[in-house]
Amino acid sequence: MMIARFRQMGTLLGLLLIVLFFTIQLPDTFLTARNLINVSQQISMLAVVAFAMTVVMVMGDFDLSVGSMASLAGIVAAVLFALGYPLWIGVAAALAVGMLGGLLNGLLVAVVGILPFVATLGTLTIFSGLAFFVSGGRTIFGRDIPASFSGFARSGVPLDGIGLTGLKLPFLSISALVVLAITWVLLEQTTYGRRLYAIGGNREAARLAGVQVTRLRSSAFVLTGIGAAIAGLMYASRVASANPTQGAGLMLDAIAAVFLGMTMGKEGEPRVLATLVGVLILGILDNGLTQMNVDSYVREMLIGAIVLVAVATSSYRRSH
Amino acid sequence: MKSLLISLAVIGLTATAAVAEKVTVVTPFLAQPGTQAYVQGFEAEASAKGWEVNVVDTAGDVAAVISRIEDAVNQQVDAIVINVDPAQVAAGLQVAADAGIPVIGMDAGADPLLVTNVTSNGYAMAAETSVYVANRIEGKGRIVMFVFDAFPPVQVRGVIADAVFGNHPDIEIIDRITPDVQDGGIADSRAKMEAVLAANPEPGSIAAVWAAWDQPALGALQAIEDAGRSDEGIVIVGIDANPQARDAIAAGGNFEASVAQDFQGIGKAAADAAARAMAGEEIRAKVMYVPTRLITAANAQQ
Repeated sequence: MMIARFRQMGTLLGLLLIVLFFTIQLPDTFLTARNLINVSQQISMLAVVAFAMTVVMVMGDFDLSVGSMASLAGIVAAVLFALGYPLWIGVAAALAVGMLGGLLNGLLVAVVGILPFVATLGTLTIFSGLAFFVSGGRTIFGRDIPASFSGFARSGVPLDGIGLTGLKLPFLSISALVVLAITWVLLEQTTYGRRLYAIGGNREAARLAGVQVTRLRSSAFVLTGIGAAIAGLMYASRVASANPTQGAGLMLDAIAAVFLGMTMGKEGEPRVLATLVGVLILGILDNGLTQMNVDSYVREMLIGAIVLVAVATSSYRRSH
Repeated sequence: MKSLLISLAVIGLTATAAVAEKVTVVTPFLAQPGTQAYVQGFEAEASAKGWEVNVVDTAGDVAAVISRIEDAVNQQVDAIVINVDPAQVAAGLQVAADAGIPVIGMDAGADPLLVTNVTSNGYAMAAETSVYVANRIEGKGRIVMFVFDAFPPVQVRGVIADAVFGNHPDIEIIDRITPDVQDGGIADSRAKMEAVLAANPEPGSIAAVWAAWDQPALGALQAIEDAGRSDEGIVIVGIDANPQARDAIAAGGNFEASVAQDFQGIGKAAADAAARAMAGEEIRAKVMYVPTRLITAANAQQ
């Protein structure tokens, strides 16, 4: 029992070692409140995509379309802003697009029965093409983006009250925390979540036990689609613009974060809090290695290698 | 734990600057040959000035540029140089401005939060190549354009070409193509040009290909040569005069002209601007242009 617990904690230990390493290497700038708040803001968009990805990966499914959905959601909101619609309509439309796109994924996977990898590869291309089509390939920026929208990513709750004078907890970080809380309650505290885990454990057994597999799988993809759209809106707010490709990088990092987190599951199952650890590892490596002036390409190789080492260690232990 | 964090924060805020000037260069586009040349020109000048330079490539991710600017501000560098649309990274520029760290644009676009932006005059370059085409085809014929409006510095080139061609009543734009640039731009442009050639089989039905940069021009050249239509006199022009384009132009085929930006010169001028900003000088010109040159078979190998 102790050993099993220790094995599960290996990735968390890795995160602590990474934090310790940067704290020693960068004594003046790493473990400061300002930098940690920066990191929380830098990882917020990836975190939301990764949390959303966790929901489908719980069932053993996959969603490759989250990155292009994030781009599309940002574009839809920005195009509506450019046409003069108010903030809430742009945001609501983007979330609706996320919902519909997720529903399309869900129907293709759960009802039609296409492998998630293939189905969402197809919708990835559709969403990406749609984002180019709707925007005419242009980056929408400047006066077209309302100041209230881009201002969201630049503001936060002042932390002067707890002694951190001049600092604020960014709304982007708070958004990610809210999505984390909702996902955690949904997956860990509700019958809905337990049924998703049952599908992931053994789909056929879940079906025989009376779980409505088709409906649940579809709905999980809807949630992932909405999550991707939220991340796309956050990204668009952060860069005060929308570009048809800007979310593309989120997908692979989100999958890597979930895989890192899965090394902490008892049966190698994804847990949303473990996904957060995965996101933190990726984000802190990016932040710390940049501060240490490590070459960007070396940084990329290091991050890939660390993901592989973590996953390999955990699967080697499991199989021996 | 909280008091430890706070004391570390205080140490972080009061740490003194290093002896050598520290400058961070952030770009999502380091894979592009042009960006590499700016960075080389910048690094050469920076090492002559004795600076410590850190070049960060975010591999296409614009939000990560903001994150890396925040990291550089946190490191208390003396200046930051960016090669990305400043409107998209304004959140990071504001953080730098609040910390009093000057940010210089290297072919980035003008922005109030930048000290200055050093670049080539995109309008002038596009005017050179589009007028070259209009004159070569004697003001009449059907033209294919390759554009990329999502990237502002390339978008301005398209605007000028539209204006020049629009000013000739006998010139018709039969297609205005935005190629997929994820593969570097040649392969997809070639595929798009093959489709245009298939749709316009009559010899002489395409008079020219105007490309907003060299990669689509090279793709179009390959498509025309492979279709066996290189003797129809289709005039191809690009912009940037990269080595592959220079070779094609020197070979004397359909690819006739391009415009050379002085990328290294832009990098050097950006370093000079950074030096002036770090010395506390207020720079009035919000955009600085480094001269360009039309490249044809006559001077392609120089």
